[in-house]
Amino acid sequence: MSAQLQFRDVTLGYDRHPAVHHLAGDVAAGALLAVVGPNGAGKSTLFRGLVGILKPLSGSISLGGLDARDIAYLPQTADIDRGFPITVFDFVGTGLWRATGLFGGIGNAERKKIAAALAAVGLTGFENRAIGTLSGGQMQRLLFARLMLQDARLILLDEPFNAIDSRTSADLLLLVKRWHAEGRTILVALHDLETVRAHFPETLLFARGPVAWGPTEEVLTPDNLLVAMRMCEAFDDSAAACVADPQSRAA
Amino acid sequence: MLTAALITPFTDFEFMRRALAAVIALSLGGAPIGVFLMLRRMSLVGDAMAHAILPGAAIGFLLYGLNLLAMILGGLTAGFLVAILAGVVSRSTGLKEDASLATFYLASLALGVTIVSVKGTNIDLLHVLFGNILAMDDQTLLTVACNATITLIVLAVIYRPLVIESVDPLFLRTVSRAGTPTHLAFLALVVINLVSGFQALGTLLAVGLMILPAGIAKFWSRDISGMICTAVVSAIISGYAGLVLSFQTRIPSGPAIILVAALLYIGSVLFGSVGGVVRQLFPGRHLEA
Amino acid sequence: MRGLWLIVFVAALSANPVCAQDRINVVASFSILGDFVKNVGGDRANVTTLVGPNGDVHVYTPSPSDAKKNADAKILVVNGLGLEGWLPRLVQAAGSKAAIVTASNGIAPLKVGSEADPHAWQSVPNAKIYVANIRDALVAADPPDAAMFRANAARYLGELDALDAEVRAAIAKIPPERRKVITTHKAFAYFAAAYGIAFLAPVGVSTETEPSARDIAALIQRIKADKIPAVFLENLSDDRLVGRIAAETGAKSGGTLYSDSLTGENGPAPTYIALVRHNIKALTSALGN
Repeated sequence: MSAQLQFRDVTLGYDRHPAVHHLAGDVAAGALLAVVGPNGAGKSTLFRGLVGILKPLSGSISLGGLDARDIAYLPQTADIDRGFPITVFDFVGTGLWRATGLFGGIGNAERKKIAAALAAVGLTGFENRAIGTLSGGQMQRLLFARLMLQDARLILLDEPFNAIDSRTSADLLLLVKRWHAEGRTILVALHDLETVRAHFPETLLFARGPVAWGPTEEVLTPDNLLVAMRMCEAFDDSAAACVADPQSRAA
Repeated sequence: MLTAALITPFTDFEFMRRALAAVIALSLGGAPIGVFLMLRRMSLVGDAMAHAILPGAAIGFLLYGLNLLAMILGGLTAGFLVAILAGVVSRSTGLKEDASLATFYLASLALGVTIVSVKGTNIDLLHVLFGNILAMDDQTLLTVACNATITLIVLAVIYRPLVIESVDPLFLRTVSRAGTPTHLAFLALVVINLVSGFQALGTLLAVGLMILPAGIAKFWSRDISGMICTAVVSAIISGYAGLVLSFQTRIPSGPAIILVAALLYIGSVLFGSVGGVVRQLFPGRHLEA
Repeated sequence: MRGLWLIVFVAALSANPVCAQDRINVVASFSILGDFVKNVGGDRANVTTLVGPNGDVHVYTPSPSDAKKNADAKILVVNGLGLEGWLPRLVQAAGSKAAIVTASNGIAPLKVGSEADPHAWQSVPNAKIYVANIRDALVAADPPDAAMFRANAARYLGELDALDAEVRAAIAKIPPERRKVITTHKAFAYFAAAYGIAFLAPVGVSTETEPSARDIAALIQRIKADKIPAVFLENLSDDRLVGRIAAETGAKSGGTLYSDSLTGENGPAPTYIALVRHNIKALTSALGN
């Protein structure tokens, strides 16, 4: 029930400017990895590349045989139409897509799963509410519940605890650890270094390119953090083509 | 007295019975599509499509003269092309759906006008192409009925991915490849409904019975399946009442149906149980918990 | 300055040795008038028509080339009586110095509601007045050819007399109680008044108005009550509506009657006389026993 990721010298970016520059390395199966870095470091870009929304500018990412349905992704800002007339129950139920497909019915077994997921995030009793009536924190918990139902082997969470209260964060963190205990591979991008130090055994410190990668205590040293902070946030419009880019070498 | 007004027009005259049948078929097919159009902010696509089909109809006219079938097939082809191109462009670039559709339909319309003027006659092609609900012959009734059937079947198939795609497209994109085919199938349904609606009933009715019932439904239901049911029912009621109105007064039938729908809409805006103005102004005593 | 160019242009034209000198340029607003002018003008007149065969003169949209035709013309022949609503702006835009001849001057207009019914050419006696007006205008504009114009006109008027007699004879053969028909276009009032056949129609004077259910129901009841034998289609409008009415009343569908336009060269009504002959043949075969 686990997967292995390989970053093969991958560069991801926008308009030829790299946001993830020459990342190489492996993520072991069943790992719980925190991805840490300043704003604009490229964490979201990395996740988009993993999910397949963004194609690499060079290099590649191997998902160790997983396909799209084995990956669950929680983006930082979800483009969800909150005005859409759908209930909490139905919305969470879409997480069962992998099992039900186009026509599969939502029978008793599925209903129980949905109820369990809602209970796990503390949203029991909200089943018939329209999603537009939920608060930010409730919405985030709803997305977690959907994620649960997806039963995925690789879970990507991009800044999942932004803008929610500490009690909710704590509850959701427990869920994450439970998933980890079930053997899933989990990558979480986050800011809060205390949380990382407290709960995450492995960290990738990231600032456009890898700064440090390994056990958390070794990675989150003051020196490493200083290097990461010095990363330049803006793209350089006058930058030349990257020498290490295989395309430019061929040219 | 009331029965005379409400029932006898239909028992006495076959064209009224046929008109009612057509309106029911149109409601069954068009109203659910209209609900999705409204939720996806594509409510003006009907008018855009009415113009977009012109080059197809024009080419049919150029090749085969005033042959209705040729013009309809041409119109369908043009409509599909515009809808699908617009859909593909909005999915693969940052351009939003409404802008994408607008650019394609304008180009299409200009092309159509050019083609017609090359032939040198001034017949208002679109006028010839658009029908009238009081003129339902067997062939047109069959077309409208087939339309409704195809629409309901396809909608049933794509319902789940369509809903997901409308509420959280990124999620669908990450778990499935059904997003793009669903979207294009939906656009195809829109085109089929519109083109055959135009041809049978004229633009006003075809578009009106899609969009107005969706607007009405929004004020009575919080859930999409409830909205679809309400939309279908209000479309049928509007059709029926509109036909009766057109029968008792001199109002033309298409506008009469739409006027009734508009009245229902205003009533819903004011008194609807979900977000109606009156409910907002007078919410009643609040609950204990 | 513009006048100077016009003079140069006309001089250049008349310098052509092959053309008969002073071929007068005449523009006719639509095909039927064009036919009249050709018959009177012979080869001394260069006739162009704005709304060509199978065109709809009620809703015509002029193009820049029409403005050019107008600018070159010496005489512009129009129907008047409100038929060419689009014409005044075209004339103004073209800056034409052409003399405008209203062919319908001198006829006794019939009314539709509060407006005049423009289809005066439908009665052959009126057509003769049209021809006379056109002849007088040509004579005034091109005196050297007056004798020719008068001779052509006299010959053509003779043909029209014969046509009128034909029509009356044909109608006399129809039993009086069967002299009533349905068409889609209220364009035959003058024919009805001149020859005694009643024409009933479900839509208004132009091809744009939409009927109400009450209008159609009233028409169906009238057809059944008066035992009207036949329904006719006009070459532009919604034949499905007429077909529906025919189906519901048991009336016979009589084919097409031509009213506002000639057909092309290969059609059944390439000239005015052919048009009237076609119409009367269709009427007699549908209404006769």
